[in-house]
Amino acid sequence: MLSFIIRRAAASIPVLLLVSLITFGLLWLVPGDPAAILLDASATPEALERVRRELGLDQPFLVRMGQWYWRILHGDLGNSLLLNRSVASAIVERLPVTLSLTALAFVFAALVGIAAGVTAAVRHGRAADQSVMMLALLGLSIPEFWLGLVLIWGLAVGAGLFPAGGYVPFSENPVEWARHVALPAFTLACVQMGFIARMTRSSMLEVLGQDFIRTARAKGLPESTLVMQHGLANAMVPVVTVMGIMVGGLLGNAVVTEQVFAIPGVGRLIIGAVLSRDFPVIQGGLLYLALIYLVVNLIVDVLYAVIDPRVRLG
Amino acid sequence: MSATALPASPARSRADFVRRLLANRSFVIGAALFSIVALVAVFADWLAPFDPLRGNFRTRMLAPNAVNWLGTDHFGRDILSRVMFGARISLAIGLVVTLITGVLGTLIGAVAGYMRSLDGPIMRLMDAFMAFPPIILAIAISAALGGSAINVAIALAIAATPHTARVVRASVLVVREMEYVDAARSLGVSHARILLRHVMPNAMAPLIVRLTYVFAVAILNEAVLSYIGVGPPPPAPTFGSIVANGRDFIIDAPWITIAPGLAIIVTVLGLNLLGDGLRDALDPRMGVGPR
Amino acid sequence: MKTMFSRFALAMAAAVAFTAPAMAQKQGGDVVIAMTQAPPSLDPHASSAQVARNVNLHMFETLYARDENAKPVPDLAEGATISPDGLTYVFALRKDVKFHNGKMMGSADVAASLERFRKGGASAALLAAIDSITASGPNEVTVKLKSVQSTFLGNLSSPRSPIAIIPAEEAAKPIGQASPIGTGPFKFVEYKPDSHVKIEKFADYKPNPAYKERDGFAGAKIVYLNSVTFRFIPEAGARNAALESGQVQLNETSDSPTAKRLKDNPAFTVIPVLPFSMQVVKFNHAQAPGSDANFRRAVALAIDPEEIMAVSYPDIYKLDYAWVYGGSAYHSDRGKWKTDIAAAKAELAKSGYKGEKLAYIVDNTRPSVDVATVMQQQLAQIGVNIDIKVADWPTVSKVGFTDEGWNFWTHGFGIEPFEGPASVIAPWVKGVSQRKTDPVIDGLFDKINTEMSVEGQKKIFDQFQDHMSKEAVALNIGNYGLFQIASSKLKNFKAYRIPRMWGVWLD
Repeated sequence: MLSFIIRRAAASIPVLLLVSLITFGLLWLVPGDPAAILLDASATPEALERVRRELGLDQPFLVRMGQWYWRILHGDLGNSLLLNRSVASAIVERLPVTLSLTALAFVFAALVGIAAGVTAAVRHGRAADQSVMMLALLGLSIPEFWLGLVLIWGLAVGAGLFPAGGYVPFSENPVEWARHVALPAFTLACVQMGFIARMTRSSMLEVLGQDFIRTARAKGLPESTLVMQHGLANAMVPVVTVMGIMVGGLLGNAVVTEQVFAIPGVGRLIIGAVLSRDFPVIQGGLLYLALIYLVVNLIVDVLYAVIDPRVRLG
Repeated sequence: MSATALPASPARSRADFVRRLLANRSFVIGAALFSIVALVAVFADWLAPFDPLRGNFRTRMLAPNAVNWLGTDHFGRDILSRVMFGARISLAIGLVVTLITGVLGTLIGAVAGYMRSLDGPIMRLMDAFMAFPPIILAIAISAALGGSAINVAIALAIAATPHTARVVRASVLVVREMEYVDAARSLGVSHARILLRHVMPNAMAPLIVRLTYVFAVAILNEAVLSYIGVGPPPPAPTFGSIVANGRDFIIDAPWITIAPGLAIIVTVLGLNLLGDGLRDALDPRMGVGPR
Repeated sequence: MKTMFSRFALAMAAAVAFTAPAMAQKQGGDVVIAMTQAPPSLDPHASSAQVARNVNLHMFETLYARDENAKPVPDLAEGATISPDGLTYVFALRKDVKFHNGKMMGSADVAASLERFRKGGASAALLAAIDSITASGPNEVTVKLKSVQSTFLGNLSSPRSPIAIIPAEEAAKPIGQASPIGTGPFKFVEYKPDSHVKIEKFADYKPNPAYKERDGFAGAKIVYLNSVTFRFIPEAGARNAALESGQVQLNETSDSPTAKRLKDNPAFTVIPVLPFSMQVVKFNHAQAPGSDANFRRAVALAIDPEEIMAVSYPDIYKLDYAWVYGGSAYHSDRGKWKTDIAAAKAELAKSGYKGEKLAYIVDNTRPSVDVATVMQQQLAQIGVNIDIKVADWPTVSKVGFTDEGWNFWTHGFGIEPFEGPASVIAPWVKGVSQRKTDPVIDGLFDKINTEMSVEGQKKIFDQFQDHMSKEAVALNIGNYGLFQIASSKLKNFKAYRIPRMWGVWLD
């Protein structure tokens, strides 16, 4: 097992190197000038030049790239050009916000999605199956940010049930935290719910059709035991894999959701950085998200190997 | 693609396939929904009651009424006309994304799957791209290139390609090991010919299904890019830019936001149903679909 | 002594009479303000962004500050003695001013702050005329100018990027890295990026004894509140929702439909702040066809300012062609023009323009994009073909200060018309904004800088306005404002360039 984990982790090192190369290369294409945002429209070119020099933006590409690699090898992502703090601390400050939002959305999506998927599989071909599948597909077809806007309009402003935006940390006030993240988490969960429901249904159908289930059924085991103990356990293998992929989707969609609901998470940090040319933050933020994705997928692969030992030999 | 299904008689199996498709409810409903949107997009010039760009500031932000069925925006432009023309640009972007993704994904996937020596490096690069949430990758690329319809399409295609390449590679891997390919190879048939004549036709089915979903996701993501502010420039309407236009007025003129959102849902739902139907008709065990 | 006492008593009586009826000030309370963005920096010298001023001018003060009518008056200084040749300013400092860190403010702090600003401040040009700064006594600072500058006190008191007085040890830090320690009526508590800045009442603050009342950025700043939190909420809808659900007490920028809707709601007070900015359309004179006055005049004649303003700034605009705000001593009706499509076509025919696509660059805020979009439609009527290029502010402002890549650019001039004529002329000097030197403008700028009388300055400014409209150097489409909406619990609030939180209390 340990050797599997090591092998699997080692395999992600070249990927990580490529990830950082893409991050750096991509952002140098971005036009625009972070110096300008610190000054107003009538700032003189001399003033812009001075600020640029102070921010170190006058250095050549390769020099900056070299410095950047040197620093990330030392775990230092550099300093934000605009936030007056290190990139790492800016990200770490906001990480709990994004992670609590995505975690809540994930739990929500997984619970509802798996329940719906199992229901659909057990009632295969019947009305319940068809309505679950239709709803799941609808969830996959709704643009999140639009859903967020409509929820703000209907539930927050119209009915006054939820705040329309902003964030209160869990540690400060758990009730307010829940009220603030409820709508964004629901928005975020909608798509994933549909995804998990479809995935669970199709793997359940596959498992329920297999010989050992038929044998068990023939032995007279009650249907609920069959579904819960044999079916679901076996169906979880592909579902777990999909959850790894989902993390990428969740983190990406969280960016947009954070924007709609004005939640101060990593996503808004990155969007803000893209819109203000804060290169170190964009690079650091992308690197962090990619790292989270790779780590989660490593964990998923390990889990997968635990559930299904054949994987380890592959 | 089931490995043993070598088409015995192409004509017969094609007729079979079409019959299966037409019997598939998902496909029929999806095709109907999508066709409606596509027809509106193509014939927007005839169908739209007003010029989508021309506003009249004296009739701005009208609620839906007998003249402007879906109301007007804050320029006084007719929302229905804008949604109709928006369908044109959004679908065009979706189509271009699908084509670019199809070509790039096929090339990369086929090369990786067929050439063992290149498989590792190519797939590591694809893994690296896939480590970024696709939408963030697209935002960064679109911001880098500057917002225009074609740049948005390029950004979305780059974000969608790695997964597509993976799908193609997977089917190529299966086919590559089959006897008739071995036989062709031992007869000295060139690699290019083997790929084109024997391998690719068998990789087409999953690719087509995948591309339907790519199309759907492209429609959704174009809207996101426009919403964030890195989409195509005004005044040309896209689904996303109409929503973005309305967000400042969501409380007092919700119709500006709601109508294009519903248009997105109809389009994407249509494409997803279409994809599901195709998948079921081609091979029910192929995967779970979009995103 | 007697006269002084009675004057004081009179002023006290006046102050009581002014505030007493129906207005019992309440101590305490916490106000939350919804702002559109986070301030780029809390180092007052580092940023000239509006959002930075909103926060920083609660914590920091300047030697001179603008009063309610934008006139420079003493704030941290007791006054200034100007030498007859106009080159030496001796500032007498107030003696009882404490920094938030407990230290008393002295001449060393003032000299260090001015030095720091003129070397690297975000608007360092404001102090470009300074030759030397000396701490000439414990409470006296002497500033020598290289040449006479009629606007020197105006510059010194500009809120643009405030020339804040900070402790000498903070002034030794590089720009952007000073801790937020000032002398203002509020002191810094915390800054959560992407979320909020919190400031609280500075207990040791002594309002300037020279004043009895709130007056612009100067005056007597009396704080009743315990704390103020500036929350950053970029979405207009979310800001209003936060206000309506009682989470914030003041929405610093609201859209007009919401303002209209809440106007008659007793729970809220809608405050139109107009004029707040001036919508300016720049031409790139370094490129054809912007280099051609006939073309520029054609554009001016073809557009309908009312439609542009009505769409972009619904219900909060004012058509005004002067390059300063109404109410200013320099304001006039010069430069007015009327839409005339036939005349526009005639002017266009005289120019070399042949229907090429022209680039209209604009930042990605809704009103700016709307201005460009409406103009695009209007100019299509005379056959001018426009491509709108939307980008983020940094990109646009980079491109817009180069000779290539743009033909039109629109954005607001907010603070310049507030500062006064010289500040409005300055962006066009040496062709910085229009990308081609204009000797007429440069000459007028030199003249206005040495002209000490208001009447003389007005004459020069009139000439500037005539030149701007005759040559259509750039277009001034009109004034726009913003709606601020406050909870009606917030008492005695008066809109100004920033949402001042002194002199107000919560009921």
